Amino acid sequence: MTQYLVKEGVKNLIHPDEQLITTHCCYCGMQCGMHIRVHKKTGKVVGVEPRYDWPVTRGKMCPKGVTAYQTIEHKDRILRPLIKKNGKFVEASWEEALDLIEKNFKRIQAEYGKDALAVFGGVSMTNEKCYLVGKYARVALGTRFIDYNGRFCMSSAAGGFLKTLGIDRGSTLPWTELEHTDCFFMAGTNTAECHPTSIQWFWRAKDKGAKLIVADPRETPTARVADVHLDLKPGTDSALANGIMHLLIKEGYVDEEYVNERCNNYEELKAMVEKFTPEYTAKITGVAPEKIVKAAHIYGRSPRSVVMFARGAEQQSKGVDNVSLYTSMALLRGQIGKFASGVATFTGQGNGQGGREHGQKSDLLPGYRKITDPEAVKYISSIWGIKPEDMPGPGVSAYEMFDEIHKGTIRAMHVICSNPAVSAPNLEYIWEGLRKLDFLVVNDFFLSETAEFADVVLPATTWAEDEGTTTNLEGRVIRIRKVREPLGEAKPDWMILSKIAERMGKGKHFQYNSAREIFDELRLASKGGKADYYGITYERIDKEDGVFWPCPSEDHPGTPTMFKEKFGTPDGKANLAVVDWEPAGEEPTEEYPHYLTTGRVVFHYLSGNQTRRVDFLKEQCPVPYAEMHPELASQYRLSNGDLVKLTTKRSSMVLEVRLTKAIRKDTVFVPYHWGKELAVNQLTSACLDPVSRMPEFKVCAVKLEKVSAKEVKAQ
Amino acid sequence: MRKIMYLEFERCIGCRSCQAACRECGGHEAKERNYVEYVDFMESRQTYPMLCMQCKDPACARVCPANAIQITEEGVVLSAMEEKCIGCRNCTFGCPFGIPKFDFEANKMYKCDMCYDRSKYDIAPMCASVCPSDAIRFIDFDEMQALRRRRAQMNLVEGKKPQEGNKWEYVPEFFGVYTD
Repeated sequence: MTQYLVKEGVKNLIHPDEQLITTHCCYCGMQCGMHIRVHKKTGKVVGVEPRYDWPVTRGKMCPKGVTAYQTIEHKDRILRPLIKKNGKFVEASWEEALDLIEKNFKRIQAEYGKDALAVFGGVSMTNEKCYLVGKYARVALGTRFIDYNGRFCMSSAAGGFLKTLGIDRGSTLPWTELEHTDCFFMAGTNTAECHPTSIQWFWRAKDKGAKLIVADPRETPTARVADVHLDLKPGTDSALANGIMHLLIKEGYVDEEYVNERCNNYEELKAMVEKFTPEYTAKITGVAPEKIVKAAHIYGRSPRSVVMFARGAEQQSKGVDNVSLYTSMALLRGQIGKFASGVATFTGQGNGQGGREHGQKSDLLPGYRKITDPEAVKYISSIWGIKPEDMPGPGVSAYEMFDEIHKGTIRAMHVICSNPAVSAPNLEYIWEGLRKLDFLVVNDFFLSETAEFADVVLPATTWAEDEGTTTNLEGRVIRIRKVREPLGEAKPDWMILSKIAERMGKGKHFQYNSAREIFDELRLASKGGKADYYGITYERIDKEDGVFWPCPSEDHPGTPTMFKEKFGTPDGKANLAVVDWEPAGEEPTEEYPHYLTTGRVVFHYLSGNQTRRVDFLKEQCPVPYAEMHPELASQYRLSNGDLVKLTTKRSSMVLEVRLTKAIRKDTVFVPYHWGKELAVNQLTSACLDPVSRMPEFKVCAVKLEKVSAKEVKAQ
Repeated sequence: MRKIMYLEFERCIGCRSCQAACRECGGHEAKERNYVEYVDFMESRQTYPMLCMQCKDPACARVCPANAIQITEEGVVLSAMEEKCIGCRNCTFGCPFGIPKFDFEANKMYKCDMCYDRSKYDIAPMCASVCPSDAIRFIDFDEMQALRRRRAQMNLVEGKKPQEGNKWEYVPEFFGVYTD
């Protein structure tokens, strides 16, 4: 069951009464390697030991990673199923909980049809589980309404990559090559806080003289040391990218041969970016023209460059445009498919990459197959043992499922590995939706804000109590090991889903004894798809330090570098993006004169349901705050530590002011990891990207008011 | 021990992994002994790590009336011995770097011991192991010297230093911590 793997010559401290188990962190897409220390006699988790020989992270961990093990045996763990009776949760047996779920699911489906049930998944869990969530919704429940929290995280990157490159793999190159890169163009990524262990690669490249260009409204730790910091207004990325491309073309930095041979739309792109002169771009973005020119020269002259972006550019109503334009910048320079160069997104969730490939998305089946493609439906139906005509059609995106709840189409929901009551935008609407549901089931190991709305909470295991695989931000499939037996009566999600499937009369499709059996089915299901996992086995992952997909057969070496020969589009050519800049869904007005943007802090992960319970992380950052420039603050007589009321069209909240000059003068920043009255997502806008259906967390218009503690108390 | 702790302030990204990791070390009773500070948050997000310099002739040990602060044969300045520390806090006043911490409940000082249970086997201390930015490193003496020479060379490369956002000028250059 468990193994300690280490390369020759690497020393670890191993206490004689303990054993080490080799695994990866449960949090972000970096999936840092770590060993978990387990007491031999008691089987209890006692700590963490660095995994110095994991090639991507070399033993490095962020504070979340160092303390991740503390969530496993945390005192807040839910150890038995909980059923809500008279507004209060009481412990129940699994039988009781499953009876109740069966009764309600069957009743609701009989009354309102199959699609009255919805499944809301997540991607902070293994490929095996993510795959099974899709199968569970379509086979066990027979509903078309399934989607997942990646809509709040990754879907714009996926949409942009599909549009331009034809295949959505988060990074076109392995990150161990990054130290050889000459220039990084990073947009909308607070790398040092959100993916801290990637910093070693950037700093190492910088030691060798690599240049850094950072586009961000805030002067983040990476922007602080950047050669050019493009301090753009929130929501203007597409103008910036067009402006840079204008200069690349004008200054002759375009790799004409590469573009002619491998890209479509070059002439159209030329015509589109014609008007994006530095002056015009500066007017839209608020960045000084000299900086744009300097950035274009540095980027254009670098022989090997990587364009990188994250939620800043993606969580916008133009997220797909932003991603495809930034990707086009890399294409113009002829960088994709080559050594130490290309394009990459910083995957936010642990398995954000793998979790979106295997059918948790409303319109996708395993292996990135389209549910609207009859051939794909036929193939997957044969693997799942159902009739193709029984396969439900495409559903709607995560946020739109709440519209369906308000409309009364969706009457019951099963939330797995997600906390939309914190992470969705326009929260008051979401909360109302959750209250409106006839029946809500939540799988979680801590009582999340979403679980508080539930009728039944099922105790899931943490990442350390089950085995499986995840796919890190490079596209490398890696292995998560079981560290200890499940606590209390907790069960891994795949077991919970199988049990409910059995109750729904579909048990024969869910006969699994271990995660490995699910992985073998996933391999088959993904075979021949874009994200082909067929050649990947647990043994190969151990032997080869992970395997990069696509890997169509067991003798295939995997694909660390994508698009070496051709792109994933039907004609094998990349599609350069020809898109104009358009304003964000909500721009500042006289009444709401400033920008509000949200983001993360290094100490918390997503909705904070795990990290807010860890002592060290809680001490470091207990509550959210409103970060702003002293010049903005002085207009409202605000100083450090004062209380400010932020109001948007949707709601308002009171926060403590934190002043720094390391942010634009027209922008307020608030981290989003808290729930209820501390949730900044009460204020954020639910304007969706037309393609990816990603809400615009990063831009909305806000009004500031100074308030006193007395006034707040009186309310 | 030929290894040394090497700090490069400007690499620090302020993640405080080193502090989280410090709590994880066997003898540290889940209390961190190192520091990460903002230079001036109003001006920039530049932070820097601080840890015990493992002085050759440590002021903390010299001013300790109870001889509670021991120095190992490798030169590591240990935390106060439980049975000897009288809680006078002289060490906290004596240390020019402000490193020793004081536990008022247990009435004793505690400080960085370079994770002696690890470093005595040449395994990197927890802070240096996890530091994502290599701001804290546990490296060979020779490697440290090479890094210092490299530093001088890099400053000669044109355009090496950032033109803009060079707020690391707020930070003192760099220095290493070593026991010989």
